[in-house]
Amino acid sequence: MRRLTVTPRSDWQKRVERVGLTYHTLADGTPYWDEGAYWELTAGEIDRLEAATAEVQRLALAAGDVILNQDRLAQMGIPAAAGPAIRAAWNSEPPALYGRLDLAYDGTTIKLLEYNADTPTGLVEAAVAQWYWLQECYPDADQFNSLHEKLIAKWKDLKDYTSSPVYFADGGSEEDRMTVTYLRDTAEQGGLKTRHVAMHDIGWDAKHSRFVDLDNHAMETLFKLYPWEWMLSEPFGPDALSTLPPSAALQEWGPRKDRRLWGSMLWIEPIWKMMWSNKALLAILWELNPGHELLLPAYLDGPRELTSYVRKPLFGREGSGIAVVQDGVTLEGVLAGENAQGYVYQALASMATAGGKTAVFGSWLVDGEPAGMGIRESTGPVTNNTSCFVPHLFR
Amino acid sequence: MRKSREVQLTLLAAIALSMTACRDEHRDCVDAQNHLQSDINCRAETSGSHFVYGGSSGGNVGDTVVGGSSVSRGGFGGTGGGDGGAGGE
Repeated sequence: MRRLTVTPRSDWQKRVERVGLTYHTLADGTPYWDEGAYWELTAGEIDRLEAATAEVQRLALAAGDVILNQDRLAQMGIPAAAGPAIRAAWNSEPPALYGRLDLAYDGTTIKLLEYNADTPTGLVEAAVAQWYWLQECYPDADQFNSLHEKLIAKWKDLKDYTSSPVYFADGGSEEDRMTVTYLRDTAEQGGLKTRHVAMHDIGWDAKHSRFVDLDNHAMETLFKLYPWEWMLSEPFGPDALSTLPPSAALQEWGPRKDRRLWGSMLWIEPIWKMMWSNKALLAILWELNPGHELLLPAYLDGPRELTSYVRKPLFGREGSGIAVVQDGVTLEGVLAGENAQGYVYQALASMATAGGKTAVFGSWLVDGEPAGMGIRESTGPVTNNTSCFVPHLFR
Repeated sequence: MRKSREVQLTLLAAIALSMTACRDEHRDCVDAQNHLQSDINCRAETSGSHFVYGGSSGGNVGDTVVGGSSVSRGGFGGTGGGDGGAGGE
Protein backbone atom coordinates (compact mmCIF):
# COMPACT_ATOMS: atom_id res chain seq x y z
CA MET A 1 0.00 0.00 0.00
CA ARG A 2 1.07 3.56 -0.43
CA ARG A 3 -0.01 7.08 0.41
CA LEU A 4 -0.24 9.46 -2.53
CA THR A 5 -0.51 13.23 -2.30
CA VAL A 6 -2.80 14.93 -4.79
CA THR A 7 -4.48 18.25 -5.39
CA PRO A 8 -7.90 18.43 -3.71
CA ARG A 9 -10.95 19.23 -5.80
CA SER A 10 -11.19 23.00 -5.99
CA ASP A 11 -14.65 23.06 -4.41
CA TRP A 12 -14.20 20.05 -2.13
CA GLN A 13 -15.89 21.76 0.82
CA LYS A 14 -19.14 22.26 -1.09
CA ARG A 15 -18.97 18.77 -2.53
CA VAL A 16 -18.64 17.01 0.81
CA GLU A 17 -21.17 19.31 2.47
CA ARG A 18 -23.76 18.32 -0.14
CA VAL A 19 -23.46 14.69 0.94
CA GLY A 20 -23.68 15.37 4.66
CA LEU A 21 -20.07 15.99 5.70
CA THR A 22 -20.71 19.47 7.05
CA TYR A 23 -18.00 19.11 9.73
CA HIS A 24 -15.16 18.90 7.21
CA THR A 25 -12.93 21.53 8.82
CA LEU A 26 -11.47 21.61 12.34
CA ALA A 27 -11.81 24.56 14.69
CA ASP A 28 -8.31 25.76 13.80
CA GLY A 29 -9.21 25.90 10.12
CA THR A 30 -7.30 22.81 9.02
CA PRO A 31 -9.20 20.19 7.04
CA TYR A 32 -10.66 17.27 8.93
CA TRP A 33 -11.63 15.71 5.61
CA ASP A 34 -8.23 15.66 3.90
CA GLU A 35 -8.38 14.74 0.23
CA GLY A 36 -4.93 16.21 -0.34
CA ALA A 37 -3.83 12.61 -0.01
CA TYR A 38 -5.27 9.13 -0.34
CA TRP A 39 -4.22 5.60 0.47
CA GLU A 40 -3.99 3.07 -2.34
CA LEU A 41 -4.11 -0.58 -1.40
CA THR A 42 -4.12 -3.80 -3.35
CA ALA A 43 -7.05 -6.19 -3.50
CA GLY A 44 -4.95 -8.66 -1.54
CA GLU A 45 -4.38 -6.17 1.25
CA ILE A 46 -8.11 -5.47 1.41
CA ASP A 47 -8.74 -9.22 1.57
CA ARG A 48 -6.44 -9.45 4.59
CA LEU A 49 -8.10 -6.54 6.36
CA GLU A 50 -11.53 -7.98 5.70
CA ALA A 51 -10.52 -11.43 6.94
CA ALA A 52 -8.88 -9.92 10.03
CA THR A 53 -12.07 -8.03 10.82
CA ALA A 54 -14.15 -11.18 10.62
CA GLU A 55 -11.66 -13.05 12.80
CA VAL A 56 -11.59 -10.36 15.51
CA GLN A 57 -15.37 -10.38 15.51
CA ARG A 58 -15.27 -14.14 16.12
CA LEU A 59 -12.83 -13.65 19.00
CA ALA A 60 -14.98 -10.91 20.50
CA LEU A 61 -18.06 -13.13 20.43
CA ALA A 62 -16.19 -15.85 22.28
CA ALA A 63 -14.86 -13.30 24.78
CA GLY A 64 -18.38 -12.09 25.53
CA ASP A 65 -19.36 -15.57 26.71
CA VAL A 66 -16.27 -15.77 28.92
CA ILE A 67 -16.84 -12.33 30.45
CA LEU A 68 -20.32 -13.34 31.54
CA ASN A 69 -19.56 -16.93 32.50
CA GLN A 70 -16.63 -15.79 34.65
CA ASP A 71 -18.41 -12.71 36.04
CA ARG A 72 -15.75 -10.32 34.74
CA LEU A 73 -17.98 -7.22 34.44
CA ALA A 74 -16.75 -5.74 37.74
CA GLN A 75 -13.16 -6.15 36.56
CA MET A 76 -14.12 -4.07 33.53
CA GLY A 77 -15.48 -1.29 35.74
CA ILE A 78 -19.05 -1.90 34.58
CA PRO A 79 -21.64 -1.00 37.25
CA ALA A 80 -23.09 -4.02 39.03
CA ALA A 81 -26.61 -2.72 38.43
CA ALA A 82 -26.12 -3.22 34.70
CA GLY A 83 -25.06 -6.86 35.00
CA PRO A 84 -28.46 -8.57 34.80
CA ALA A 85 -29.51 -6.47 31.80
CA ILE A 86 -26.22 -7.13 29.99
CA ARG A 87 -26.53 -10.84 30.61
CA ALA A 88 -30.14 -10.94 29.44
CA ALA A 89 -29.39 -8.91 26.32
CA TRP A 90 -26.35 -11.02 25.42
CA ASN A 91 -28.31 -14.23 25.69
CA SER A 92 -31.41 -13.01 23.89
CA GLU A 93 -29.61 -11.19 21.07
CA PRO A 94 -31.73 -8.09 20.47
CA PRO A 95 -30.84 -6.15 17.32
CA ALA A 96 -27.32 -4.76 17.06
CA LEU A 97 -26.43 -2.59 14.09
CA TYR A 98 -22.82 -1.73 13.64
CA GLY A 99 -19.30 -1.25 15.02
CA ARG A 100 -15.80 -0.25 14.02
CA LEU A 101 -12.52 -1.99 14.73
CA ASP A 102 -9.50 0.28 14.84
CA LEU A 103 -6.61 -1.66 13.35
CA ALA A 104 -2.89 -1.03 13.08
CA TYR A 105 -1.62 -2.18 9.69
CA ASP A 106 1.91 -1.55 8.49
CA GLY A 107 1.59 -3.56 5.29
CA THR A 108 2.76 -6.71 7.03
CA THR A 109 1.02 -7.20 10.35
CA ILE A 110 -2.53 -6.33 11.36
CA LYS A 111 -3.24 -5.72 15.05
CA LEU A 112 -6.41 -4.78 16.89
CA LEU A 113 -6.09 -1.43 18.66
CA GLU A 114 -9.64 -1.24 19.98
CA TYR A 115 -13.26 -1.98 19.21
CA ASN A 116 -15.65 0.97 19.01
CA ALA A 117 -18.75 -1.13 19.35
CA ASP A 118 -21.28 1.16 20.99
CA THR A 119 -21.09 4.63 19.41
CA PRO A 120 -18.76 4.61 16.42
CA THR A 121 -18.61 7.71 14.24
CA GLY A 122 -16.69 8.55 11.09
CA LEU A 123 -19.55 6.87 9.27
CA VAL A 124 -20.61 9.70 6.97
CA GLU A 125 -16.99 10.03 5.89
CA ALA A 126 -16.47 6.31 5.30
CA ALA A 127 -19.82 5.37 3.80
CA VAL A 128 -20.70 8.49 1.82
CA ALA A 129 -18.04 11.18 1.37
CA GLN A 130 -15.26 8.86 0.27
CA TRP A 131 -17.65 6.96 -2.01
CA TYR A 132 -18.56 10.18 -3.84
CA TRP A 133 -14.89 11.21 -3.87
CA LEU A 134 -14.05 7.92 -5.57
CA GLN A 135 -16.85 8.25 -8.13
CA GLU A 136 -15.71 11.72 -9.07
CA CYS A 137 -11.93 11.30 -8.94
CA TYR A 138 -11.15 7.63 -9.60
CA PRO A 139 -14.30 6.00 -10.99
CA ASP A 140 -12.41 2.98 -12.32
CA ALA A 141 -10.95 2.10 -8.94
CA ASP A 142 -12.63 0.10 -6.19
CA GLN A 143 -13.11 0.83 -2.52
CA PHE A 144 -13.69 -1.33 0.55
CA ASN A 145 -17.03 0.25 1.25
CA SER A 146 -20.41 -1.42 1.05
CA LEU A 147 -21.62 0.30 4.21
CA HIS A 148 -24.56 2.03 2.60
CA GLU A 149 -26.02 -1.09 1.08
CA LYS A 150 -25.43 -3.17 4.19
CA LEU A 151 -27.01 -0.61 6.51
CA ILE A 152 -30.15 -0.43 4.37
CA ALA A 153 -30.31 -4.22 4.22
CA LYS A 154 -29.96 -4.47 8.00
CA TRP A 155 -32.75 -1.98 8.62
CA LYS A 156 -34.99 -3.95 6.26
CA ASP A 157 -34.29 -7.03 8.38
CA LEU A 158 -35.17 -5.12 11.53
CA LYS A 159 -38.51 -3.87 10.30
CA ASP A 160 -40.45 -6.65 12.04
CA TYR A 161 -38.44 -6.27 15.23
CA THR A 162 -38.88 -2.56 15.84
CA SER A 163 -41.74 -0.29 16.77
CA SER A 164 -42.64 2.66 14.60
CA PRO A 165 -41.28 5.25 14.54
CA VAL A 166 -37.68 4.36 15.31
CA TYR A 167 -36.18 7.25 17.26
CA PHE A 168 -32.62 8.42 16.72
CA ALA A 169 -30.88 10.38 19.47
CA ASP A 170 -27.52 12.08 19.89
CA GLY A 171 -25.72 14.33 22.34
CA GLY A 172 -25.86 17.36 20.11
CA SER A 173 -22.46 17.76 18.41
CA GLU A 174 -22.62 18.44 14.70
CA GLU A 175 -20.76 15.26 13.83
CA ASP A 176 -23.07 13.13 15.93
CA ARG A 177 -26.16 14.89 14.59
CA MET A 178 -25.13 14.21 10.99
CA THR A 179 -24.20 10.62 11.83
CA VAL A 180 -27.64 9.84 13.22
CA THR A 181 -29.22 11.72 10.32
CA TYR A 182 -27.34 9.46 7.91
CA LEU A 183 -28.44 6.39 9.83
CA ARG A 184 -32.02 7.68 9.75
CA ASP A 185 -31.62 8.07 5.99
CA THR A 186 -30.56 4.44 5.60
CA ALA A 187 -33.36 3.29 7.92
CA GLU A 188 -35.97 5.17 5.88
CA GLN A 189 -34.57 3.71 2.68
CA GLY A 190 -35.00 0.37 4.42
CA GLY A 191 -38.68 1.10 4.88
CA LEU A 192 -38.77 2.33 8.49
CA LYS A 193 -40.30 5.52 9.80
CA THR A 194 -37.93 7.58 11.89
CA ARG A 195 -37.82 10.60 14.17
CA HIS A 196 -34.99 12.53 15.75
CA VAL A 197 -34.82 13.45 19.41
CA ALA A 198 -31.94 15.04 21.30
CA MET A 199 -30.73 13.03 24.28
CA HIS A 200 -31.47 15.93 26.63
CA ASP A 201 -35.03 16.18 25.30
CA ILE A 202 -35.91 12.58 26.09
CA GLY A 203 -38.54 12.52 28.81
CA TRP A 204 -39.22 10.00 31.53
CA ASP A 205 -42.88 9.40 32.23
CA ALA A 206 -42.74 8.05 35.76
CA LYS A 207 -46.46 7.37 35.83
CA HIS A 208 -46.22 4.87 32.98
CA SER A 209 -42.56 3.91 33.48
CA ARG A 210 -41.55 4.71 29.92
CA PHE A 211 -39.49 7.15 27.91
CA VAL A 212 -41.36 9.73 25.83
CA ASP A 213 -40.58 12.17 23.05
CA LEU A 214 -41.27 15.92 23.08
CA ASP A 215 -44.92 15.28 22.36
CA ASN A 216 -45.06 12.83 25.27
CA HIS A 217 -45.53 9.91 22.90
CA ALA A 218 -44.04 6.68 24.16
CA MET A 219 -40.73 5.74 22.57
CA GLU A 220 -40.35 2.00 22.07
CA THR A 221 -37.32 1.75 19.77
CA LEU A 222 -34.35 4.07 20.13
CA PHE A 223 -31.03 4.19 18.33
CA LYS A 224 -28.82 6.28 20.61
CA LEU A 225 -25.44 7.64 19.59
CA TYR A 226 -24.62 8.08 23.23
CA PRO A 227 -22.50 5.71 25.30
CA TRP A 228 -24.15 3.33 27.68
CA GLU A 229 -21.65 4.18 30.41
CA TRP A 230 -22.67 7.83 30.17
CA MET A 231 -26.36 6.97 30.23
CA LEU A 232 -26.03 4.80 33.30
CA SER A 233 -24.17 7.51 35.20
CA GLU A 234 -26.86 10.11 34.45
CA PRO A 235 -30.14 10.73 36.31
CA PHE A 236 -32.17 8.57 33.91
CA GLY A 237 -29.71 5.67 34.15
CA PRO A 238 -31.80 3.62 36.59
CA ASP A 239 -34.88 4.33 34.47
CA ALA A 240 -33.09 3.06 31.37
CA LEU A 241 -32.27 -0.17 33.18
CA SER A 242 -35.91 -0.48 34.24
CA THR A 243 -36.98 -0.52 30.59
CA LEU A 244 -34.82 -3.53 29.82
CA PRO A 245 -36.03 -7.09 30.18
CA PRO A 246 -35.50 -8.85 33.49
CA SER A 247 -32.62 -11.27 33.60
CA ALA A 248 -35.09 -14.12 33.93
CA ALA A 249 -36.50 -13.41 30.48
CA LEU A 250 -33.87 -15.37 28.61
CA GLN A 251 -35.81 -16.12 25.50
CA GLU A 252 -34.48 -15.62 22.04
CA TRP A 253 -35.45 -12.24 20.66
CA GLY A 254 -37.68 -12.48 17.64
CA PRO A 255 -40.25 -10.68 15.56
CA ARG A 256 -43.72 -10.21 16.90
CA LYS A 257 -42.81 -11.62 20.32
CA ASP A 258 -44.79 -10.20 23.20
CA ARG A 259 -42.91 -6.98 23.82
CA ARG A 260 -43.84 -7.00 27.49
CA LEU A 261 -41.20 -9.66 27.93
CA TRP A 262 -38.65 -7.22 26.62
CA GLY A 263 -39.40 -4.15 28.63
CA SER A 264 -40.72 -0.89 27.32
CA MET A 265 -37.77 0.09 25.12
CA LEU A 266 -35.65 -1.60 22.47
CA TRP A 267 -32.24 0.09 22.61
CA ILE A 268 -29.88 0.07 19.64
CA GLU A 269 -27.02 -0.55 20.27
CA PRO A 270 -27.97 -3.08 22.97
CA ILE A 271 -26.54 -2.75 26.45
CA TRP A 272 -24.24 -5.75 26.05
CA LYS A 273 -22.09 -3.57 23.75
CA MET A 274 -20.68 -2.18 27.02
CA MET A 275 -18.51 -5.30 27.10
CA TRP A 276 -16.96 -4.69 23.69
CA SER A 277 -16.57 -0.94 23.80
CA ASN A 278 -14.69 -1.26 27.09
CA LYS A 279 -10.89 -1.29 26.68
CA ALA A 280 -10.63 -4.17 29.16
CA LEU A 281 -11.80 -6.33 26.26
CA LEU A 282 -8.30 -5.99 24.80
CA ALA A 283 -6.70 -7.64 27.84
CA ILE A 284 -9.35 -10.34 28.00
CA LEU A 285 -8.90 -11.14 24.30
CA TRP A 286 -5.15 -11.49 24.84
CA GLU A 287 -5.67 -13.64 27.92
CA LEU A 288 -7.96 -15.96 25.97
CA ASN A 289 -5.85 -15.97 22.79
CA PRO A 290 -2.22 -15.41 23.83
CA GLY A 291 0.05 -14.87 20.86
CA HIS A 292 -2.80 -14.46 18.39
CA GLU A 293 -1.45 -12.79 15.25
CA LEU A 294 -4.17 -10.10 15.26
CA LEU A 295 -3.82 -9.14 18.92
CA LEU A 296 -1.35 -7.10 20.91
CA PRO A 297 -0.23 -8.15 24.39
CA ALA A 298 -2.51 -6.30 26.79
CA TYR A 299 -2.96 -6.41 30.57
CA LEU A 300 -5.18 -4.87 33.20
CA ASP A 301 -2.81 -5.00 36.17
CA GLY A 302 0.12 -3.09 34.71
CA PRO A 303 2.51 -3.23 31.76
CA ARG A 304 4.20 -6.43 33.04
CA GLU A 305 7.01 -7.28 30.59
CA LEU A 306 6.17 -4.44 28.20
CA THR A 307 8.66 -1.58 27.92
CA SER A 308 6.85 0.01 24.97
CA TYR A 309 3.13 0.29 25.51
CA VAL A 310 0.02 2.46 25.48
CA ARG A 311 -1.97 2.99 28.68
CA LYS A 312 -5.64 3.53 27.89
CA PRO A 313 -8.46 4.35 30.34
CA LEU A 314 -11.05 1.57 30.25
CA PHE A 315 -13.73 4.11 29.34
CA GLY A 316 -11.48 6.44 27.35
CA ARG A 317 -12.84 8.15 24.25
CA GLU A 318 -11.27 9.88 21.27
CA GLY A 319 -7.75 9.37 22.58
CA SER A 320 -8.36 11.14 25.90
CA GLY A 321 -6.26 10.03 28.87
CA ILE A 322 -3.91 7.93 26.76
CA ALA A 323 -0.22 7.74 27.65
CA VAL A 324 2.36 6.34 25.22
CA VAL A 325 5.58 4.82 26.56
CA GLN A 326 8.43 3.71 24.31
CA ASP A 327 11.48 1.97 25.72
CA GLY A 328 10.48 3.20 29.14
CA VAL A 329 10.19 6.85 28.10
CA THR A 330 6.79 8.58 28.10
CA LEU A 331 6.33 10.03 24.61
CA GLU A 332 2.81 11.37 24.96
CA GLY A 333 0.38 11.93 27.82
CA VAL A 334 1.03 11.58 31.52
CA LEU A 335 1.50 8.30 33.36
CA ALA A 336 1.06 9.76 36.84
CA GLY A 337 -2.36 9.61 38.42
CA GLU A 338 -5.12 7.07 38.43
CA ASN A 339 -8.74 7.04 37.43
CA ALA A 340 -11.54 5.24 39.20
CA GLN A 341 -12.23 2.78 36.40
CA GLY A 342 -8.66 1.66 35.71
CA TYR A 343 -6.57 1.16 32.60
CA VAL A 344 -5.47 -1.34 30.05
CA TYR A 345 -1.79 -1.57 29.12
CA GLN A 346 -1.39 -2.55 25.48
CA ALA A 347 1.85 -3.15 23.59
CA LEU A 348 2.78 -0.53 21.03
CA ALA A 349 1.85 -1.56 17.50
CA SER A 350 3.75 -1.05 14.28
CA MET A 351 1.70 1.45 12.31
CA ALA A 352 1.59 2.67 8.73
CA THR A 353 3.42 5.99 8.49
CA ALA A 354 3.88 8.25 5.51
CA GLY A 355 4.10 11.96 4.89
CA GLY A 356 4.73 12.55 8.58
CA LYS A 357 1.39 10.97 9.44
CA THR A 358 0.45 7.81 11.29
CA ALA A 359 -2.59 5.97 9.95
CA VAL A 360 -5.23 3.92 11.76
CA PHE A 361 -7.48 1.68 9.71
CA GLY A 362 -11.07 1.80 10.91
CA SER A 363 -12.72 -1.40 9.73
CA TRP A 364 -16.50 -1.32 9.85
CA LEU A 365 -18.93 -4.10 10.61
CA VAL A 366 -22.64 -4.09 9.92
CA ASP A 367 -24.65 -6.91 11.48
CA GLY A 368 -21.36 -8.50 12.49
CA GLU A 369 -19.99 -8.66 8.95
CA PRO A 370 -17.10 -6.63 7.48
CA ALA A 371 -18.57 -3.70 5.58
CA GLY A 372 -15.96 -1.10 4.75
CA MET A 373 -13.03 0.98 5.88
CA GLY A 374 -12.09 4.53 6.80
CA ILE A 375 -8.57 5.77 7.49
CA ARG A 376 -7.70 8.39 10.11
CA GLU A 377 -4.31 10.07 10.20
CA SER A 378 -2.53 11.76 13.12
CA THR A 379 0.71 13.65 13.42
CA GLY A 380 1.44 11.77 16.67
CA PRO A 381 0.92 8.18 17.81
CA VAL A 382 -2.59 8.77 19.23
CA THR A 383 -5.75 9.07 17.15
CA ASN A 384 -8.00 11.75 18.62
CA ASN A 385 -10.84 14.04 17.61
CA THR A 386 -8.54 16.18 15.49
CA SER A 387 -7.14 13.29 13.44
CA CYS A 388 -7.92 13.73 9.76
CA PHE A 389 -9.98 11.40 7.61
CA VAL A 390 -8.16 10.44 4.41
CA PRO A 391 -9.97 8.52 1.66
CA HIS A 392 -8.78 5.24 0.19
CA LEU A 393 -9.12 3.12 -2.90
CA PHE A 394 -7.78 -0.22 -4.11
CA ARG A 395 -6.91 -1.67 -7.46
CA MET B 1 -16.43 -4.87 -6.58
CA ARG B 2 -16.52 -4.01 -2.86
CA LYS B 3 -17.99 -0.56 -3.11
CA SER B 4 -21.67 0.23 -2.89
CA ARG B 5 -23.31 0.32 -6.30
CA GLU B 6 -25.20 3.46 -5.39
CA VAL B 7 -25.24 5.83 -2.44
CA GLN B 8 -28.49 7.71 -2.77
CA LEU B 9 -29.25 10.22 -0.07
CA THR B 10 -32.55 11.79 0.84
CA LEU B 11 -32.80 12.91 4.43
CA LEU B 12 -29.09 13.47 4.92
CA ALA B 13 -28.76 15.71 1.90
CA ALA B 14 -31.79 17.73 2.88
CA ILE B 15 -30.63 18.28 6.43
CA ALA B 16 -27.08 19.02 5.35
CA LEU B 17 -28.57 21.86 3.32
CA SER B 18 -30.77 23.24 6.01
CA MET B 19 -29.19 22.17 9.28
CA THR B 20 -32.47 23.27 10.80
CA ALA B 21 -34.00 19.94 11.60
CA CYS B 22 -33.54 20.28 15.33
CA ARG B 23 -36.64 20.96 17.28
CA ASP B 24 -36.03 23.13 20.31
CA GLU B 25 -38.86 23.98 22.69
CA HIS B 26 -38.80 26.40 25.54
CA ARG B 27 -37.72 24.67 28.70
CA ASP B 28 -37.11 25.66 32.30
CA CYS B 29 -34.92 24.04 34.90
CA VAL B 30 -36.91 23.65 38.11
CA ASP B 31 -36.47 22.07 41.54
CA ALA B 32 -38.84 19.56 43.12
CA GLN B 33 -41.25 22.37 44.04
CA ASN B 34 -41.30 23.70 40.45
CA HIS B 35 -39.23 26.76 41.32
CA LEU B 36 -37.09 28.09 38.50
CA GLN B 37 -33.39 27.20 38.76
CA SER B 38 -30.29 27.86 36.74
CA ASP B 39 -29.88 25.37 33.86
CA ILE B 40 -26.59 24.35 35.43
CA ASN B 41 -28.54 22.61 38.21
CA CYS B 42 -30.24 20.35 35.67
CA ARG B 43 -26.91 19.18 34.30
CA ALA B 44 -25.67 18.13 37.74
CA GLU B 45 -26.34 14.48 38.35
CA THR B 46 -27.45 14.73 41.97
CA SER B 47 -29.19 18.07 42.17
CA GLY B 48 -32.76 16.78 42.02
CA SER B 49 -33.58 19.49 39.49
CA HIS B 50 -35.15 18.70 36.14
CA PHE B 51 -36.40 20.42 33.02
CA VAL B 52 -40.06 21.09 32.34
CA TYR B 53 -41.25 21.98 28.86
CA GLY B 54 -43.73 24.56 27.71
CA GLY B 55 -44.29 26.20 31.10
CA SER B 56 -44.14 29.88 31.98
CA SER B 57 -42.75 31.93 34.84
CA GLY B 58 -41.50 35.41 35.66
CA GLY B 59 -38.08 34.35 34.47
CA ASN B 60 -36.30 34.88 37.78
CA VAL B 61 -34.61 32.16 39.79
CA GLY B 62 -37.07 31.04 42.47
CA ASP B 63 -40.19 31.92 40.45
CA THR B 64 -42.79 29.18 40.22
CA VAL B 65 -43.09 27.66 36.75
CA VAL B 66 -46.70 26.89 35.83
CA GLY B 67 -48.27 24.94 33.00
CA GLY B 68 -45.33 22.72 32.16
CA SER B 69 -45.45 19.01 31.51
CA SER B 70 -44.97 16.75 34.51
CA VAL B 71 -42.79 14.48 32.44
CA SER B 72 -39.23 14.82 33.61
CA ARG B 73 -36.62 15.73 31.01
CA GLY B 74 -32.93 16.41 30.89
CA GLY B 75 -31.96 13.17 32.61
CA PHE B 76 -29.79 12.23 29.63
CA GLY B 77 -27.30 14.30 27.72
CA GLY B 78 -25.33 15.86 30.55
CA THR B 79 -22.05 14.01 30.01
CA GLY B 80 -19.39 14.96 27.53
CA GLY B 81 -19.75 18.68 28.07
CA GLY B 82 -23.52 18.80 28.24
CA ASP B 83 -25.53 20.17 25.33
CA GLY B 84 -23.58 19.86 22.14
CA GLY B 85 -21.39 17.11 23.52
CA ALA B 86 -20.17 14.27 21.38
CA GLY B 87 -21.04 10.71 22.33
CA GLY B 88 -19.57 9.18 19.22
CA GLU B 89 -15.97 8.14 18.77
